[in-house]
Amino acid sequence: MPEISRKNWEARLEAVRSDFAASALDCLATLEDLELFRVKYLGRKSELTELLKLLKDLAPEDKRALGPQAQKLKSGIETAVARRQAELEDELLQSKLANESLDVTLPSYREPRGRLHPLTLVMDEMTRILTLMGFSLAQGPHVETERHNFEALNIPKHHPARDMLDTFYLKDAPGVLRTHTSPVQVRVMEKQKPPLRIICPGRVFRHEEVDASHSSVFHQIEGLAVDKGVSFADLKGTLDFFLKELFGSGTQTRYRPSYFPFTEPSTEVDVRCLFCGGSGCSACKRSGWMEILGAGVVNPNVFKAVGLDPAQWSGFAFGVGVERVAMLRLGVSDMRLFYENDQRFLSQFDENLA
Amino acid sequence: MKISLDWLKDYLPSLDLGADDLSKTLLGLGLEVSGVERRGAAFSGVAAAKILSVGKHPNADRLSLCSVESGGEVFSVVCGAKNIAAGQIVPLAKPGAKLPGGRTLAKTVIRGVESHGMLCSAAELGLGSDHGGILILKPDTATGADLSSSLAKPDVVLEVEVTPNRPDCLSHLGLARELSAALSLPLKRREPAAPLKAATELKIALAVPDACPLYLGKVFSGLEIRPSPGWLCARLEAVGLRPINALVDITNYVLMDLGQPLHAFDCDKIAGGEIVVRYAKSGERLAALDGKTYDLTAECLVVADAQKPSAVAGVMGGLESSITDKTKKILLESAYFAPVAVRRTSQILRLRSDSSYRFERGTDPAAAPLAAAMAEQMIRELCGKSVQAPAEGAAGRQPSAPQPITVSAGRINEILGSDFTPAEISAALGRIAAKHSAAGNGIEFTPPTYRRDLATEWDLAEEAARLLGYGRIPARALVSAPAAASRLAPIAATILRCRARMCAAGLLEAFNQDFISEKILAAARQTEAASWARPANPLSEEGAVLRPSLLPGLLQNAALNFSRGARSVRLFEIGKTYRMENGAVIEDWRAAGVVSGAACEPFWRGALNVDYDFYRLKGVVENLLPSSAQTVFHADSGDGTPAGPGWSDLDRLFHPGQRAAAASGSGTFLGFVGCLHPQAAAAWDFGARTVCIFELDLEALSALSAGPAAKFAPYSQFPGSWRDLSVVVPKSARYAKIDKVIRAAAGENLKDVALTDVFSGKAVEAGKISMTLRLSFGRADRTLTDEEVSSAVQNLMGALEKNMGARLRGA
Repeated sequence: MPEISRKNWEARLEAVRSDFAASALDCLATLEDLELFRVKYLGRKSELTELLKLLKDLAPEDKRALGPQAQKLKSGIETAVARRQAELEDELLQSKLANESLDVTLPSYREPRGRLHPLTLVMDEMTRILTLMGFSLAQGPHVETERHNFEALNIPKHHPARDMLDTFYLKDAPGVLRTHTSPVQVRVMEKQKPPLRIICPGRVFRHEEVDASHSSVFHQIEGLAVDKGVSFADLKGTLDFFLKELFGSGTQTRYRPSYFPFTEPSTEVDVRCLFCGGSGCSACKRSGWMEILGAGVVNPNVFKAVGLDPAQWSGFAFGVGVERVAMLRLGVSDMRLFYENDQRFLSQFDENLA
Repeated sequence: MKISLDWLKDYLPSLDLGADDLSKTLLGLGLEVSGVERRGAAFSGVAAAKILSVGKHPNADRLSLCSVESGGEVFSVVCGAKNIAAGQIVPLAKPGAKLPGGRTLAKTVIRGVESHGMLCSAAELGLGSDHGGILILKPDTATGADLSSSLAKPDVVLEVEVTPNRPDCLSHLGLARELSAALSLPLKRREPAAPLKAATELKIALAVPDACPLYLGKVFSGLEIRPSPGWLCARLEAVGLRPINALVDITNYVLMDLGQPLHAFDCDKIAGGEIVVRYAKSGERLAALDGKTYDLTAECLVVADAQKPSAVAGVMGGLESSITDKTKKILLESAYFAPVAVRRTSQILRLRSDSSYRFERGTDPAAAPLAAAMAEQMIRELCGKSVQAPAEGAAGRQPSAPQPITVSAGRINEILGSDFTPAEISAALGRIAAKHSAAGNGIEFTPPTYRRDLATEWDLAEEAARLLGYGRIPARALVSAPAAASRLAPIAATILRCRARMCAAGLLEAFNQDFISEKILAAARQTEAASWARPANPLSEEGAVLRPSLLPGLLQNAALNFSRGARSVRLFEIGKTYRMENGAVIEDWRAAGVVSGAACEPFWRGALNVDYDFYRLKGVVENLLPSSAQTVFHADSGDGTPAGPGWSDLDRLFHPGQRAAAASGSGTFLGFVGCLHPQAAAAWDFGARTVCIFELDLEALSALSAGPAAKFAPYSQFPGSWRDLSVVVPKSARYAKIDKVIRAAAGENLKDVALTDVFSGKAVEAGKISMTLRLSFGRADRTLTDEEVSSAVQNLMGALEKNMGARLRGA
């Protein structure tokens, strides 16, 4: 068995140390080269492994002194190799990722976006506000009896107020196309006992030539509240709240006398011009105000027509023109656009209208 | 109506408001001002001049050469008028003067003689219709004075919108009354009229006292029909009326002043010197002042003479008895006709006038004698010196005065939710009452004869609010609890759901009008005209029918979008359709859609660029149906599911080989989905495009969706397994049948069947197709064994072979 001297062992370790120090670990470009490098310094047949094996042949005191030196060199080399391996692996990942990159700016594959009609959006918005205020939805037919559309609303035959409601009659059938959503008030009161709070969004029909601001078919939202002790002041409170929700908290309102056969007192409600804020512009015809809706205290004759005692019950009613609000909110100046159904028009409006 | 501020001041001398403030005050009273016109002289550079001499024009017999002095200067002027004489003061338009119509006067040479200006008639200055001669000014007019402000007063004219309940505001007096009450200004009233003397040469009979309770007539003779003076013309023109002659102008003036319509007949054309107010007899006709002849019915109220109608009562006079230049003797009518009688007559004849407008809304019966007296005074002033004191006749009597209304301030505050003091309410009402007194706790209010609209405490609440200001009523939150919140009606919920799902499917919501033309329905191959509901008075042929289906309108929209360059069309609509059934119009809620062209934005990976087709739209429709309901698509509606009324005609719009009827598992018909019939596609010029359409009955869908809300159903914790199966079947086999056979034969462990591939061609023998099916198996309680799955596949394959003539591909 060949003896190894301490001196000899130390010289060989020093040779490994200086060889490693001179090696170009950082120049190794691939994981394969690194593996060869690892085998060379740390493999089973490497000089270092040999020297560690030979320790057992040294004197115990030499063993104690030299063993840690060899172990220290070994772990130094291991750390360096591991570091280089991490570096090389990262480089590899980076280059793989670089190769996989997409041009994310290329156009998407997109399902076409469906949209609701702007009038639906505006009706939904108004309905949302009013249902939060405790109004529930009611509906009525488009083809109405003359009683519901006129007589029960205090518009007798041969009354000049019918001039305000140019009417489509039906051929070979009774009834009219409702000229307003107000007959729904009558229908609800015929069926339900007060207290009542209802709204009815829907289509109405007027025998009017179609132009930029008139349509023979358009939409209204009718509202009705009936209870004991309901007054004009409740109407103002309700509509103020509704209009502020609809047009913004800074909305100012103005109530001025008007005439509807089915309310008494009656009022037209204006808001401060949404465009000029009241200083006067073409949209408000220099008045600073815009007419938004008609309203009033339920006329006792309407209560009588549905068998309610006007001494006991009172209420208010209002009607909003949906197209008018939509035109103001969306900046549409020609009402016909709503019924033309050009997809470029229909694609412009999103759920968020504000 | 148009209101002249200058005229208004006849009644309100102390009114001191500009146009803006006046408009605001009127608006606060419920009288909207829709237009303001500022009027003044339409000329400048016209001065008063004194005629020094009138000489002959050397070269023209009809012209004269005048020497006039104005402001110290002397001008030589050529004039053609005959009414001039030395010493008169006349208007002289000097060179540079601007005359109405934008004309600028220049020095001119007339028949060889230079004219340094022009002497003007009233008409030439825009002051009336009198072309007859030079306007002769008052002798004390200073020469040289500019005439623009003294001849034509500046004025403001307001266009006031009067609501139908306020006929009393259709006059200057009426608006003056309103302003007087609102502003607490004194109102200058006219002298009350003396009662009319009993009829002498005029006999008046009121055959229908309900329709005409009061009729006053005055007969004037010896009058001349001549032009009105400038001031009268100016006032009428200010309110938009054309001066005609003094007599007609006086009736119009009184109308605009008092709101009482008058009518003048040529008395010599009144047969028998007798007036009868009656309903027309059938067959009677009348040529009216508008030049048209009207066939009268027994519901038309007329003013007749002994033989025939002379006027449509309260609406329009007859041509034969109208005033002409030759008229010497007239009958002036001032009457009260009942609103309903006039409105009915006017509607039957489709004839309206300023007069019928007021009568049908309700005139003030008390104004009739006042108007007669005012007209008499004006006729005597303006229709010649020889006008005699009129013969008079009166028939009927004043309708009874309005009943008093008793109301308390407390009740008014209750209706308004206001806290006006009793004193201010009482004072406000006092300003508009005929009589008004405090009666115990309340107020007894008697409306004036011109306020027939006031009858209840609600009416008086509005009056109080109007006069005290709507703005003073507080805004109060509605405090009462609402009635039990009601759920959405099933149909409303179905509409909301369908809208959301169609949006999610990428469709755009359309709104079409409910009217459609027969032409478009013909293009849509619709034939059942007897079942179409129609308006009796359509605006035009374009709207002759109430839509029996939503699809024709949507196809119009599709064609419009394609014609404007759209790549694709994807529209839906939810709305009502109409049909006639047993003499009544039935309304149905429907949902419909049309898709055609590219189903996505152009994409650079070609395989994904697909067009809308039948199967894609079928999927959209399936997503509208409730998942809880079993829904089957029949190739034709004759397959045990009768289509609802109106649907068989709509079926004609579809390609008969490319449409399915949707029906619930229980057999309720729901609607159609399919491709457009080639004839309809050609009618809309869709060319080679595939156009797919659907229409669903939302009421039926809504009924299907009713029932308890969905509950959570636990799903299996054990992994399932699947098998792909390629089978070859005859081309005539229907997939629905295959699916049914498989499900029936596979047993309870089969969870789902999906069709993953279909092909025919070289690899498959002629007349057959290959289908690849993915069969999913599973159980809630355990994992299935391979043997169980294989045996299920074997069973279902056996059934397919037996029932469908199928065989495994490659077998």
